[in-house]
Amino acid sequence: MMAILYTRLIHWKKQIISLLFWLLLPILATLAIVYGTSLIQQDSKIPVGIVTGDDSEIANALYESIRATQLIRVIDVTEAEARRLVESHELDSAFVIGEGYGQDVENGRRNRLITSYLSNLSFAYAPVSQMIISLVQQDTGHSKAAHTVINLSNHTTEQWTWDEIVAKTIEIQQEEDLLRTTFTFANTVGMENENTVSLWNTWGLWALFSILSTLLLFDWGVKEKRAEILPRFAFIRYTYQHYLLLNVCLYTLLFFIFDLIAVVVFHTFLSESISLSLIGAILAFRMLINMGAFIFTCLFQNVYLYYSTAFLLALITAVISGAIIPIDGVTNRFPWVALFNPVQPFLEMEFISPWHIVCFVIIAIWYVKGGKSNA
Amino acid sequence: MLKVTSLSKAYGKKKVLDHISFSVGPGEIIGLVGENGAGKSTLLNILATLQKPTSGSIHLQEKSYQKEKPSIRKSIGYVPQDIAIWEEFTVEENMIFFEKLAWKKRGIEALRQLCLDMALDKWKEPVKMLSGGMKRKLNLAISLIHDPTLLLLDEPTVGIDLKSRKEIGVYLRKLASSEEKMILYTSHDMDEIIHLCDRIICIGDDPFYKEILIDSGKEILTF
Ligand SMILES: Nc1ncnc2c1ncn2[C@@H]1O[C@H](COP(=O)(O)OP(=O)(O)O)[C@@H](O)[C@H]1O
Ligand SMILES: [Mg+2]
Repeated sequence: MMAILYTRLIHWKKQIISLLFWLLLPILATLAIVYGTSLIQQDSKIPVGIVTGDDSEIANALYESIRATQLIRVIDVTEAEARRLVESHELDSAFVIGEGYGQDVENGRRNRLITSYLSNLSFAYAPVSQMIISLVQQDTGHSKAAHTVINLSNHTTEQWTWDEIVAKTIEIQQEEDLLRTTFTFANTVGMENENTVSLWNTWGLWALFSILSTLLLFDWGVKEKRAEILPRFAFIRYTYQHYLLLNVCLYTLLFFIFDLIAVVVFHTFLSESISLSLIGAILAFRMLINMGAFIFTCLFQNVYLYYSTAFLLALITAVISGAIIPIDGVTNRFPWVALFNPVQPFLEMEFISPWHIVCFVIIAIWYVKGGKSNA
Repeated sequence: MLKVTSLSKAYGKKKVLDHISFSVGPGEIIGLVGENGAGKSTLLNILATLQKPTSGSIHLQEKSYQKEKPSIRKSIGYVPQDIAIWEEFTVEENMIFFEKLAWKKRGIEALRQLCLDMALDKWKEPVKMLSGGMKRKLNLAISLIHDPTLLLLDEPTVGIDLKSRKEIGVYLRKLASSEEKMILYTSHDMDEIIHLCDRIICIGDDPFYKEILIDSGKEILTF
């Protein structure tokens, strides 16, 4: 093994720049994309003006809830500013929490609690207003329930038990279900947003770039079977198959060192957690794609054809992983697509997938057959 | 001692080698001549265990090619017709690369001496900067790393300058006489063949080569 390492080091020394480039690519590209998209997302939050004309507890709570929404960036304005900024399209839209909002909610008024300003370019008005309305309806719903309960206890001669009050409250809450649906709708807007974030899942991205860089760095498997050099490998103390497999092991080791670097880097900069099962899953994934890449190189004689097919393969994997086209549509229509995705088992932290077995069997057959033809 | 008995090789219906028999003793250099396509490379490849004969038997030091291929390989130094070296490596790196994989450990000084013995002194030079003669020398040197007893050289001097050609010739003579190696090699240079070889094997139907060689006073075998 040391002898093979020595010979491989001579090769690596010759291509040190491109070797390091491709080894670091999955780490750097993932960092860049995750950082990049989070910056863009900050920028792409919808600017919404909020005018607070009421200082009641309920009004403040509403204001904080709006502020906490992922989708929008709240800008505090006066009503006059709101009108001007919406008109100049600096704000998508603006909402006024009018004077007496708290009082009105407590009194059970349900109309015109909020005034809004919008322009013909207020693209996000519909979801934002839905979201705010649902927040308001939550407030009014609570208030209605409270009133009902208070009324019950005030105006009846019978003594209501605690259980009865609770039952009545639930009943009222169910009546308010409409509101809750609206609320859920607003919530899904937020969740979709979160989904796009998790689509650019750190390890998923890393896995895609790793597939590309692994395929490209395995070009040695194509380049080094040049016809002129091959007879030399009949006169070494390893069989050619053995020599190649040991090299695959060395590459796996090298890649895995950089995989561990990725674990540390993602932990440090992207707060990804570190766990033994993550490292196990990475190792399993690493062995899989290296076996796959090696089998792949065996199919090629021409290195340029190999490169283009490698890019194509990486692209296909990216597509069926949903990195480029949202995958839900594709996998819903063709569920078998997910089965063919080597990234899937890794992201689900499975150590052994059918792919492992297939690759292992192919390599075993190749090794035994090659050994026979060599002897 | 290499003993070839009634060796034949056909590619499909095409007979290339037809019942060839000869033997080579220690310290002997045998020349192999014939027109292009006569089957010289095929014969060398078979002797190098890289191809199988259709019929016939071969023994090296009493070992049968059929039964003891892996151990026979250790005694064979094969120099391919095409230059089989890493172009992007230096001479040193090429030598070390193949020494690491070889059956015998030589050490860096021995490797360097091996190159110097055939006047290959560009130790640190990348191969792609070398002249054709230097590349041929390196091609030969790598095949000698594991100290084989049977040397099979396929056109080792083709297309190179006269000086390199002479240096390789002198070196082969020295290997045969002082290290008792058996050497079989092909060439189209008749002067070189006559000058260097103890015996000459002519293969192919064309009588041309035999007629040229008949005056040389060397023993000639035709097949
Ligand atoms: N793998 C092969 N398949 C079929 N024919 C071959 C093969 N290798 C060589 N030949 C044929 O065998 C003949 C001898 O080739 P070769 O041994 O290379 O000749 P030489 O080295 O004397 O020029 C040629 O006619 C060549 O076309
Ligand atoms: Mg030839």
